[in-house]
Amino acid sequence: MTWLALGCTLLFIFITMFVSIWQKLGLEKDIAIGSARAALQLLAIGYVLHYIFRTDNILYLALIVLIMIVVASWNASQRGKDMKGIFWRIALSITVMELFIMLFLIGLKIIEPTPQYIIPLSGMTVGNAMLVASLFTSHVRREAAASKGQIDTLLSLGASAGQALQGVRKRAVKFSMIPTIDSLKTVGLVQLPGMMTGMIIAGAEPVEAVRYQILILFAHAGSAAMTSMLLSAFYFRLLLTKDLTTRSFDNT
Amino acid sequence: MFSDLSAAIECTERIAVIGASGQGKSTMLRMLARLEPIDEGDMLLNGQSFRNAEPQLWRKQVCYVAQQSVMLEGSIEDNLRVVSRLHNLPYEQSLAHQLLNESGLGDLNPRQPAADLSGGQQQRVALIRALMLRPAVLLLDEATASLDPESTRLVEAMLIALSARQEMAIVWVTHDLAQASRIGNRVWTISAGGLSEERQDVR
Repeated sequence: MTWLALGCTLLFIFITMFVSIWQKLGLEKDIAIGSARAALQLLAIGYVLHYIFRTDNILYLALIVLIMIVVASWNASQRGKDMKGIFWRIALSITVMELFIMLFLIGLKIIEPTPQYIIPLSGMTVGNAMLVASLFTSHVRREAAASKGQIDTLLSLGASAGQALQGVRKRAVKFSMIPTIDSLKTVGLVQLPGMMTGMIIAGAEPVEAVRYQILILFAHAGSAAMTSMLLSAFYFRLLLTKDLTTRSFDNT
Repeated sequence: MFSDLSAAIECTERIAVIGASGQGKSTMLRMLARLEPIDEGDMLLNGQSFRNAEPQLWRKQVCYVAQQSVMLEGSIEDNLRVVSRLHNLPYEQSLAHQLLNESGLGDLNPRQPAADLSGGQQQRVALIRALMLRPAVLLLDEATASLDPESTRLVEAMLIALSARQEMAIVWVTHDLAQASRIGNRVWTISAGGLSEERQDVR
């Protein structure tokens, strides 16, 4: 695809901006900024990847994955700004999950230990973990507020933190995994995933592309389960005080 | 909330707590169960400070029953079994049966979903659930507020008998002065962040 051809796709953005101005949606500025950022961020990562694939330096690879985890954790932690230490808890969960998935895939020789495999797979896995962490965080707060009476009742009967929060944890873990599980059920029928589509357009054999896509989907399911389980363990202390009383957050 | 509040309770005493709304009667009960933070001072149970006791173990002995009863998921029996599940104790079927009978709930099917019960029935199930713990101190916040006069008398009689039988102290917040004199052998009045007491004839 030539740069000129790529430039022509700006027409889609112009249509969007036109609709926004015409319907007085007031989104023109956000659309312009968003489009510019998307293009610049993607071009930048394209050049960075181009460079890293050639250098083969493990430090650069680690740095890229680290940046992914930090940005994902920061983004997800915005769902619970008033929860102390939430960033580190999310970052730790995602890091443990990422290490496990990558060591598993590399250890069993499912993928080669090269940046070409590790970076895109990490990006997708960490991105999915970010979504799971966001959902988990917002849902655990809603659940804790809705079940405050139950938690208080269990605590007054002498429940431990784990016993009092068991129901909340279970429901939050379940809720945060729903999109991942739903996508397992409908993929190929409703949506053709971006990675597979990209590989096919770039000339890969469709069945080969599908095999990678299945790998990704299964890794997503595993990463979603791991991330939400780790978070539910790490969030304990955030929902109750040291003396095992309920803590309240403003649910906005 | 409070400054300089001090009192002692013997093991079979029943204390009625009265006072105008908003004076902190419920807060005091919740503090006794350590459900509200205590900044200064001390509480001793059998000579042991609360600061050296795990909250779970403290609440197992000093059990608070809220005014708004909350039913946990499942049947009446599930609600009563929760206590033995939390503390890894055998379920005392005969005690549950006896308390249900004595509080006027003997006709209910224990397998019935607890959420379907009326307010007054839920309040009694919540009370029995706490009694299944066999606490040393029972903290009641308007425990009969949703009950009709007849059930109220049943519950009062059950608790007075139980207090003597199990050597259980009761701290009972009520706004009903007649009830306070029926159930309390001591009466505390809470006002302006303090506590005053007039000792009644011990019955």
